[in-house]
Amino acid sequence: MRNIFRPSEFRRPKDLHETSWILSSFEGRARVVAGGTELLVHKPLDVDCLVGLSKLDLDYIRNGRAGITIGAGTTLVKIEESEALSVEPYRILREATRLLATPTIRNTATIGGNICNASPAVDLPPALMVLDAKVIISGLEGTREIPIADFFEGVKKTVLSDDEFMVEVKIPAFPENTGASFQKLRHHQTSIDIAIVNAAARLSFAGDTVKEAKVAMGSVAATPIYSKKAEEILKGKILDVDIVKRAAEAASGEAKPIDDIRASAGYRKRMVTVLVERALEESARRCGK
Amino acid sequence: MLYINIKVNGKEYELGVKPYETLLETLRDKLGLTGTKLGCGDGECGACTVNLNGKAVLSCLTLVAQTDEKEILTIEGLQNGAELHPIQESFVENSAIQCGYCTPGLVMSAKALLEENGDPTDENVREKIANNLCRCTGYEQPVRAILEAAKKIRGENDR
Ligand SMILES: Cc1cc2nc3c(=O)[nH]c(=O)nc-3n(C[C@H](O)[C@H](O)[C@H](O)COP(=O)(O)OP(=O)(O)OC[C@H]3O[C@@H](n4cnc5c(N)ncnc54)[C@H](O)[C@@H]3O)c2cc1C
Ligand code: FES
Ligand code: FES
Repeated sequence: MRNIFRPSEFRRPKDLHETSWILSSFEGRARVVAGGTELLVHKPLDVDCLVGLSKLDLDYIRNGRAGITIGAGTTLVKIEESEALSVEPYRILREATRLLATPTIRNTATIGGNICNASPAVDLPPALMVLDAKVIISGLEGTREIPIADFFEGVKKTVLSDDEFMVEVKIPAFPENTGASFQKLRHHQTSIDIAIVNAAARLSFAGDTVKEAKVAMGSVAATPIYSKKAEEILKGKILDVDIVKRAAEAASGEAKPIDDIRASAGYRKRMVTVLVERALEESARRCGK
Repeated sequence: MLYINIKVNGKEYELGVKPYETLLETLRDKLGLTGTKLGCGDGECGACTVNLNGKAVLSCLTLVAQTDEKEILTIEGLQNGAELHPIQESFVENSAIQCGYCTPGLVMSAKALLEENGDPTDENVREKIANNLCRCTGYEQPVRAILEAAKKIRGENDR
C-alpha cells in the first residue's frame, strides 16, 4: 500500500447516477470530496479517485410547509447566514455552525462533509438529531431516507455502501411552543477547537407539559447518541429544577466517553450533566417557560 | 492530468493539474506566486489564506481541481504597480508586520472581510482573523491596521 495520499483521478460527475456509477466502479477506493477541510487534513491513503460534487447543485436551503431541506453540498457559511434557519427551533443549526471551526473554514466546509466524516466529536449531528433530521442517500438502486442517528455505525463508519453518497438533509416542521438549544464545551471557548463534549436538546410543550423531549450528545461515545432515559424523565412532566437535574444526570449515565488528550472520561461525564442541564433550561426559556 | 481554467489576480490560466494538487501548491510551484505561505498544511494557521470568488479560504485545504472556472486573488494581486493597497499600507503604518510570515494570510482575510463589510467593529475583525495565527505581534497591531484600512477605503483618512 502507498504511504502517501495519491489519488490518480479526479472526477466531476454530472448527475446522481453517474456519481454512484463512478463510486461503485472503484469498489471502495473512490471518495467524495466536498469542502476538503477534513479530507485534506487526514489525506487517506486508500483512495484512488476523488469525486467532486460541484456539478450536482447540492448547495441549497429550501423552506417548505413540510420543513426545511438542505443540500449536502451547502457550505456552512450559508447555514449560519440563512434566514430560513433563523427561527425556533432551527436556529440551533446556525448557532452550532458558528461554534464550528472558523469563518475561513466555514466558507468551504459543507454540512454533508460534517455528517459523513462521522467523527464522534462533530458538531452538527447532535443538533440535527434533536431536530429529527433525516438524510437522503443516493445509490445505484435509487435513493433512501434514514434518520440521521441511524446513519452512524462507529468512529468514521457510516451506513454508506461503496456506491452511495449523501444528497440532502431533511428537517420536519415543528409545532409552536418548541424550543431547542445547542451547547459545546471546548478548551478555549473563543478559538478553533473541536468539542470535549457537546449536547443538544429540544422540548415541545402542550400548555405547560412537555409533550416531546429530545436530548443528544457528542464526543461521549463512538457515534453521537440520544439519551433515551432523559427523554423518558422529561416527557409528560411540568418542568422544574429537579426534573431538569434528573434528566441531565440520566444523560450523563448513558454517556460512555473515553480518556484522550482532550479530557478524561470522568470529566466528560460530569460535563454532560452541565451541558444537558443548560440545553434543557435554554430550550424551555426559548418557549417562554 | 486534468485541465482547468482559473483566473488568478486578473490573469487567465489553463493548467494541467494533479487530482491531489492543492491550490497552495499550484500558486507557489506552478505560478511562482510565493507570497502565499505554507505554515501547517492542516487548516490551523491561515498563512495560506487567499480569496476564492471573493471569500477567504485556506489554499492548503483546497483542491485546485475544485477551483475550475473560479477567480483567485492572492497577496500579489493587491498591489497596483508600485502602489500598495490601503490594507498593505495600513499594515506598514501600524507596525503590524514583524517576521511577516503570517502577513499575506492576514491581509487576505482582511481583504475578504472589507469587501463584505466596509465598516467592521473590532469584534468583527477579530472573528474573521480567528484562522490566522501570528506568533509575533500579539494581534493588537494587525487589528488596528485592518480597522484603519477600512477607514482609508471609506475615504475617512484621519492621518
Ligand atoms: C482547523 C479545523 C477546525 C475544525 N473544527 C471543527 C469543529 O469545531 N467542529 C466540527 O464538527 N468539525 C470541525 N472541523 C472538521 C471539518 O472542517 C468539518 O467537519 C467540515 O464540516 C467538513 O466538511 P467538508 O465539506 O470540508 O468535508 P470533506 O473534507 O470534503 O469531507 C469529509 C468526509 O465526508 C465525506 N463526504 C463529504 N461529502 C459527502 C457526501 N455528500 N456524501 C458522502 N460522503 C461525503 C468525504 O468523503 C470525507 O470522508 C475542523 C477542521 C479543521 C481543519
Ligand atoms: S498552511 Fe494552510 S492553514 Fe496553515
Ligand atoms: S508577524 Fe511573525 S507571525 Fe505574525
